[in-house]
Amino acid sequence: MPEILKLMLEVLIFPGGLFVLVLGLLMKGLERKLRARLQRRVGPPLLQPFFDLFKLMQKETTIPEEAPAGLFQALPLAGACSMAFAAAMVPIAGAYSAPKELGDLVVLFYLLAVPAIVLMLAGSVSGSPFGAIAFSRELSIMMAYEAPILLVLLSVAIRVGVAQGGWIALSLNDIVQYQMQHGAFLFDPLMWPALLSFLLFFPANLGIAPFDIPEAESEVLEGPMLEYSGPLLGMFKMMSAMKSGVVVGLGIALFYPNAPAGVLGLGCFVVKCVLVSSIGVAVLRTSMGRMRVDQAFWFLLKWPGILGALSLAAVLWRH
Amino acid sequence: MKMLSSFAGKSPWLYRINAGSCNGCDVELATTAIIPRYDVERLGCQYCASPKHADIVLITGPITARVKDKVLSVYNEVPNPKVTVAIGVCPISGGVFRDSYAMTCSLDELVPVDVNVPGCPPRPQAIIEGIAEAIKIFGSRS
Amino acid sequence: MWLSVLFKNLLKGPATEAFPLGEATATPKRYRGRAMFDASSCSGCRTCEYVCAGGAIHFEEQSDGLHFTLWHNTCVFCGMCEQNCMSKAIHLSNDWHLAHTQDKKYAMVEQGTVPYKPCLSCGKQMLPTPAPLMELAYRGDSLRIAELRQLCPDCRRAASAGGKR
Repeated sequence: MPEILKLMLEVLIFPGGLFVLVLGLLMKGLERKLRARLQRRVGPPLLQPFFDLFKLMQKETTIPEEAPAGLFQALPLAGACSMAFAAAMVPIAGAYSAPKELGDLVVLFYLLAVPAIVLMLAGSVSGSPFGAIAFSRELSIMMAYEAPILLVLLSVAIRVGVAQGGWIALSLNDIVQYQMQHGAFLFDPLMWPALLSFLLFFPANLGIAPFDIPEAESEVLEGPMLEYSGPLLGMFKMMSAMKSGVVVGLGIALFYPNAPAGVLGLGCFVVKCVLVSSIGVAVLRTSMGRMRVDQAFWFLLKWPGILGALSLAAVLWRH
Repeated sequence: MKMLSSFAGKSPWLYRINAGSCNGCDVELATTAIIPRYDVERLGCQYCASPKHADIVLITGPITARVKDKVLSVYNEVPNPKVTVAIGVCPISGGVFRDSYAMTCSLDELVPVDVNVPGCPPRPQAIIEGIAEAIKIFGSRS
Repeated sequence: MWLSVLFKNLLKGPATEAFPLGEATATPKRYRGRAMFDASSCSGCRTCEYVCAGGAIHFEEQSDGLHFTLWHNTCVFCGMCEQNCMSKAIHLSNDWHLAHTQDKKYAMVEQGTVPYKPCLSCGKQMLPTPAPLMELAYRGDSLRIAELRQLCPDCRRAASAGGKR
């Protein structure tokens, strides 16, 4: 069954699984180094997240008594697997187009919510009061940012769909193809509200300052991952690395996928990921503190929500 | 797994336990982490908030009677392999609080200690020297 | 704007000390670190043992002299011993490389012996008066003081009250 084998390779090695994991960890390493340099420190070596992962793989696993052992261990695995699948659905212009069998934009939208749900469940299942606080905070933030991202996805999809004759284009491949032919949405003023909304959404999704509330170290002692140790914690770190790769890749596919074909296209994709995630995120994390839960909730409902609605209205009105 | 273990010594995560300390050594520990001058992150360390994520346990303070059981319970939550560092003279011998009514025992009678860093409080560079020694032990233990 | 601060930080470069991957910056001269005991200047008054805040100093009279032990693992480096020693026998150097593994815990001591000398007159074992103390008390030796110094306190009393002139 070469078809199944090809799908498995795409999910596990490129671009899912291994590739997005390595990309995510490299972005994280570069971001930590840059953050240290911005604070006039030397900072860890660039490959530090890899060393962290290798070390975590050999610590012993401790399971708290109050937690159901099966669910406790299955959650990080579920999170990591969902992100591997999600990564295989994000097209890289010129180098990779997502196979239709895996699903389209709707499935990707649901898969992007799985890591947050996994973290919430991990917090509540761990049996500690800090985990319960983290559960409620993660839930509030998630409810606040899911609506804007839906509006952004709808506006981009409707824009491309109407231009192609139907009413909505739910395949990311179509969106990427459209932008390759007609120019990226980054330079299209009609889509700028959507772009701004996405830029406000992605720190909240990835848990980056000023929205790193569920994992606030000084407040809830690392929140949902409080009771996890060893390989299970390693899988959570893998999940978060892969998620940052997927979300940034999604942003690039939605707004600026244009790149030459072949290996050069892959290189362009990596460079764009690095620019957004390492440089942008490093500056954001270094310069901002953390918002309170209620501040973050209302902020995320208001600004990205308004911008997303504006963009959707503009797209619908134009056609 | 053997190949992986050679990398483990490059990522030791630190966890602080304050066992009744006057906070002098804890302030010095905060400086070794946060301020740019004594950056401990270049050795791969980072301070973690949960004992379950820790590799190197830094214990300050004389083990007072009130805090002894709690220190023991938090220490047992740290997964193996781990390295214990006693920072300041208080956990090593009691320091100025020796012979006090609140003192129970020195740290090495409670948990197995690996590195001692004397001083009251020890200089941040001395603490980093102790942590570097502990990192070597951690690398050889995992 | 804070962005300009971040940009300037990038240009200025790291401000991190090179230790432990390189040399540490110079330690201040008056930093209170490892204790050094000079047995030739000790007068055996035990003031340092009395004022020691951590109870680190311990004297023991043995057959060959007065044994001084200072255990660094309970010394709080306050400097009271140095401040109160009249003959400047104890001095806190600026050596701060004191971190050690557990097996060397009881080896972190500074030890010294102030040797007994027999009295010239009766032969009893006594602690000699060190030179810095003579400097402090009598601004140095004269011929007479140098003679009396070789005697034990009892013989000295006898010699200066009713003995030879």
